[in-house]
Amino acid sequence: MSRFLIRRLLSSLPVMVGILLITFVIIRGIRGDPCRAILGERATQESCERFNERNGLNKSVPEQFAIYVGRFVTGDLGDSFRLGKPVTEILAERLPVTAELALSALVFATLFGVPLGIISAYRHNSTVDVGTMLGANIGISMPVFWLGLMLSYLFAVILKDTPFVLPPSGRLSPGMNPAPYYEVWGWVKDGEVAPQLWVFLGRFTIANGLITGNWPLFWDAVRHIILPAVTVSTIPLAIIARMTRSSLLEALNQDYVRTARAKGLSERRVVFQHAFRNALLPVVTIIGLSFGLLFSGAVLTETVFSLTGVGRTLFEAITARDYNVVQAVTIVSAFAFVLINLAVDLVYGLLDPRIRLN
Amino acid sequence: MPPLTSPLRDTIRRILHNRSAVIGLIMISILILVALLADVIATHPPNQSMLDVPGEAVPGVRLPTKPPCIGLLGCPDPQHFMGLDLNGRDVFSRIVHGTRVSLLVGVSVVAFSVTVGTLIGLVAGFFGGWVDDLLMRSMDVLLAFPSLLLAIAIVTAAGPGLQNALLAIGIVSLPIYARLTRASVLSAKEMEYVIAGRAIGAGPLRLMFLNILPNVLTPLIVQATLGIGTAVIETAGLSFLGLGQQPPDPEWGQMLSESRAYVFTAPHMVFFPGIAITFCVLGFNLLGDGLRDALDPRLRGVT
Repeated sequence: MSRFLIRRLLSSLPVMVGILLITFVIIRGIRGDPCRAILGERATQESCERFNERNGLNKSVPEQFAIYVGRFVTGDLGDSFRLGKPVTEILAERLPVTAELALSALVFATLFGVPLGIISAYRHNSTVDVGTMLGANIGISMPVFWLGLMLSYLFAVILKDTPFVLPPSGRLSPGMNPAPYYEVWGWVKDGEVAPQLWVFLGRFTIANGLITGNWPLFWDAVRHIILPAVTVSTIPLAIIARMTRSSLLEALNQDYVRTARAKGLSERRVVFQHAFRNALLPVVTIIGLSFGLLFSGAVLTETVFSLTGVGRTLFEAITARDYNVVQAVTIVSAFAFVLINLAVDLVYGLLDPRIRLN
Repeated sequence: MPPLTSPLRDTIRRILHNRSAVIGLIMISILILVALLADVIATHPPNQSMLDVPGEAVPGVRLPTKPPCIGLLGCPDPQHFMGLDLNGRDVFSRIVHGTRVSLLVGVSVVAFSVTVGTLIGLVAGFFGGWVDDLLMRSMDVLLAFPSLLLAIAIVTAAGPGLQNALLAIGIVSLPIYARLTRASVLSAKEMEYVIAGRAIGAGPLRLMFLNILPNVLTPLIVQATLGIGTAVIETAGLSFLGLGQQPPDPEWGQMLSESRAYVFTAPHMVFFPGIAITFCVLGFNLLGDGLRDALDPRLRGVT
């Protein structure tokens, strides 16, 4: 098992290096240099030269790449030109926002998509089925950013005086103190700087509120994530529901299902233990593939809901020619994609004993 | 004797018997009509500001907050069917004119990516070996990036604007068509009719385009129809981020981008362009699904 994991991670290395190399070249091919994008259009030749020298941009691209990879191995991702901070610090702050958004959306999409798909398949051509499929069709036809805007109008303005009111933007309400666990538990004294990994983990606000028992924080964080998560999840939800339905429909028509029914098994056992288990493989694949969609959706959704996650950061970094940030975010998202696919393969092994991981 | 049916007539009959294909066709026909007759249907020139029209603007009243006046709901003055936008332009007229842009966007993006993607897949599948490896691995690299982000990078590299946005989305959607064609070519290549063609001395071009291509068209047509919807939605996304159509010409995504800051005060400016996008994309998605069921029973139910 661990040998399989190690081999898979190692075999993804060439892809990661390829992605890094391509991002490296593409971003440098973008018209307009970072100096002018950051110091302004009227920056003098001299100040640009100094800027380029400070950031190592006066060297040739292969040289820059060699230096970058050399530092990358030691965990140094360089500094952001625009924000003047180490990229690792920016990632530690912002990656958790996107990760929480993506995970909540994935959970939401799975929790609703799979049962809807099951009911639609089981009650084939019923009202629920037709309604779900129509809803799924509309869901994948809607621009996510528009849905986000409409949901925030609905929940922040129309439902203003009802208990259903939800905040339309931001990660936390103003004045909410997101005291991270390491401060609550006294691991870090006042004035000390916490290790970046701790900061990173502490930024998962919902989990942080949960483990420190800070219920107002937890509840506030959950309320703020609902609208963006629902927004990002529409397309994956629709796709998961459709895939579950078609895959289960196929399974329900198999001979072994007829045999199971003939044996007198309860409908529940026929559907869940015989058909559904076999129908799950494509569903799991599609859930894994949805991750790419979630990330694309995150850029637009974070823009709509004013969240400072990596999606929005990446968009801003591309337009500002902030090379180091673009490279870091791309490589992190590629790595996340590799991990998710690895998890999908592991789940395959659990679902279908015929699949041997080695 | 049963009436004689040609394969073409049979196909058309199957399409017309498919509920979602018919609904999709009707929706697309409406859009095409609106695009063709935009000048007749629109009540105002799309870029004309009512601020310039005497008797229209009320002094001291901010125009965007003017609520939509819907004639059907008993509004006495249905002139501005969907209200006015930030610059006092008629939203309905802008949406009507935006239809042209969106249809053009969808069709031209798909025309580009189908042509180039099919060519890549055809060559890769037909020749195999290192040609296949080279072409398909570069397609894999394109697939490895989240599509919207790659499109953002390409547009930033080429400069914002509708044409560059189209190019970006065209490039991003290449891999689907290349993979689809290659997969079909691989199986078609081993068929007797191709081997027969080879035996009578047909050259690679003849084999590829006259013998193989017609037989891999069905999945391509289905995918291309679905691809138009995707292209429309992705262009709207790029425009929303300010990378697509530049003001003042109307485009649905760009209308959303302009008005999103006013969603709490003047939601009608956000509501209608989004409905237009959804309607258009839904039309193509329904047609694509219907075509898939009607043309290729083997693909039925695959999402």
